Amino acid sequence: MSQSMTGRFLPLTRRNLADSWRGLLGWTAGVTGAIFLYVPLYSSFSGDNAGFEDIIASLPDGLASTLGFQDLASGAGYVQATYLGLIGFVLFTIAATLWSSAAIAGDEESGSLELTLAHGVSRVQIMVERSLGVILRLLWLSIVSALLILALNDSSGIDLEPAHVIGGCAALFGVGVLAASFGLAVGAITGRRSFASAAAAGISLLGYILNSLGNQSAGVEWLHNLSPYYWAFGNSPLSEGADWGALGLIFGISAVMLVLGGFVFNRRDVSA
Amino acid sequence: MTYAIETQALTKRYGKNTALDGLDLAVETGSVFGMIGPNGAGKTTAMRLLLDIIRPTSGSATVLGQSPITGGAALRRDIGFLPGELLLEGRVTGRSLLKHYAEISGPVAPGRIDSLAERLGLDLTRHVRTLSKGNKQKLGLVQAFMHEPKLLVLDEPTSGLDPLVQQEFLSMVREAQHNGQTVFLSSHVLSEIQNAADQVAVLRNGTVVKVGDVASLRASAIRRVVIDFTDAAADDIRTALLALPQLANLTVADGEVIQVTGTVEGHIDALVKAIAPFHVVDLRVEEQDLESSVIDLYSNEANK
Repeated sequence: MSQSMTGRFLPLTRRNLADSWRGLLGWTAGVTGAIFLYVPLYSSFSGDNAGFEDIIASLPDGLASTLGFQDLASGAGYVQATYLGLIGFVLFTIAATLWSSAAIAGDEESGSLELTLAHGVSRVQIMVERSLGVILRLLWLSIVSALLILALNDSSGIDLEPAHVIGGCAALFGVGVLAASFGLAVGAITGRRSFASAAAAGISLLGYILNSLGNQSAGVEWLHNLSPYYWAFGNSPLSEGADWGALGLIFGISAVMLVLGGFVFNRRDVSA
Repeated sequence: MTYAIETQALTKRYGKNTALDGLDLAVETGSVFGMIGPNGAGKTTAMRLLLDIIRPTSGSATVLGQSPITGGAALRRDIGFLPGELLLEGRVTGRSLLKHYAEISGPVAPGRIDSLAERLGLDLTRHVRTLSKGNKQKLGLVQAFMHEPKLLVLDEPTSGLDPLVQQEFLSMVREAQHNGQTVFLSSHVLSEIQNAADQVAVLRNGTVVKVGDVASLRASAIRRVVIDFTDAAADDIRTALLALPQLANLTVADGEVIQVTGTVEGHIDALVKAIAPFHVVDLRVEEQDLESSVIDLYSNEANK
C-alpha cells in the first residue's frame, strides 16, 4: 500500500479524463445548446397574452402530466419541464450510460483492461478511480448547467433562487450518478458493455416511467415512491430547493451499487 | 536454488473446458524460460493466472515468492507483462501512454523509455491507434521492459516484429538476464525459443509434456538419416540395422549403391557403430530443428 502512494495521484482517473476531454467538450456544447435553446424561450411564453396555458390545456388528457408540463407557467416549472426533467435528464442519462459502460466493461471487451490490470493497480483502485472519472464528468455537466441557468436567470425572466438552481442541478447530477453507478456496477460484475448500458439506461427509464405513471391518477400515485426520478424532482427543487434527504438516498444507492460492483469485480476473472 | 515462478497442479477450467490441466512448472530465478505449444495449449491461460488477471480453479502458483492473489498490486510492480493480444487504442501518443503505464508500474529510470524506443525503432510521437501491429508490439515491449522488473512475462513477444527487431529483442532478453532479471516467454514459433531460452517447457492440452534445455530437447529430437553403401549385401545391412531399437521407418533400396533411409531417435552413436563394418560411401544426418522435434513429440504423445 505504501508503495502505491509513491505513484502519482489518481493515475487512472487522470488518464480517464485525459482520454475523454474531447467527448466531454461535445457534451458540454450539447448541454449549453439545450439550455440556450429552451431557457430564453420562457420570456416569450410567459405573460398574460402568451396563451401558454391554453396550449397546455389543448393537449390530450394525461400527456401534459406524463411530460411533467403541469406547471409550465412559472419559471421553475418551465425549466423543470423543459431542461431538468426532460432534455437535461435525457442528456445526462445518455452520457452516464456511455461513460459508465465504457469505464470497465468497454475496456474489458476491447482487451485493454488486461494490460492495466497487469500493472501495479488493484481491482478496487480501478473501480474507484474509473467511477470517479465518470462522476467528475457528470459533476462538470451539472456545474455547467447551473452556471448557464443562473446566467440566463434575469434575461429570460425565469427568476429562480440561485440556491434552488444549485439544488435542481444537484438533483440532475443525482439521477446521472445513479444511472452511472448501475452501468459501472453491472459492467464490473459482468464485463459486458451491453449489460452495463442496459442497466444504466434502464434505471433512468424505469424511474421516468414510474414517475409518469404515478402522475396519472391518485390511485397509482404510490408509484412515485419507487421512482428515483420522482425522488430527485418530485418536490420541484427549482421552486422549493433540493430535497437533500432524497438525494442522500439516491447517492446512497449509487454507493451501494459501486461497492457491490467492486466486490464482485475483485473476485472474478477478467476476460481477454 | 530459488524460483521466480513455481506452479503446483495449476488448473483452470471454464465449465467443461479445461484450459490448464495441472500445470507444474519451476522457473529458476535469473533464467530465460520458454513455453511452447500450439494455440490452445494453455500458454496464455498460465500467464494470465500468474498476473492474477484470472484465478485458478485449483492448484497454486508462486511468483517471486508470493501468491499472485495475495501479492496484488505490489507484486505486479515487479513484473513486466506483454499480453499475447495487445490491443492499444486511443488518441494518445505512444509517449503519453507509456507515461501512464510508468505511473502504475515500478519506477522507470529517466531516459529509459527513449532508449528502448530508439533500440526498437519506435516513434513515440505517433498516436497509438495509427501504429501498425509491429509498432504496437514494440510499444508493448517497451512498457514491459521499462521499469526493469524482476520478472518479465512475455506472451508471444516477437509476433509481428520483423527479423531485425527480433534480433534486438533477443539482445534485450540477454541484457535482462545479465541484470539478474528472469524472463518467462511463450511462443508457437519455436525458433524464437530456440535462440532465447535456457529451458523450455512444451505444453500440450493444458499440461507440460516435456521440460528440458534446448540441447537436451535437440538430443531427444528425431533425425532423418540417409546412408549410401557399396560393396555390401543389402540383406546383411538390413539385418544389422533392424536390430537397432532407435531406428525407425527403415527403407533399403538395393542397387549399385545401396541407399538406406530411416529416422533415429536420440543419439546416433549406435547407428554409426552398427554400420561401421560396411563400406559407407555417404552418411547424411539431417538435424531437425526444435520445431520438428516438438511436432514429433506431439505425434508420439498422440499415438500413445
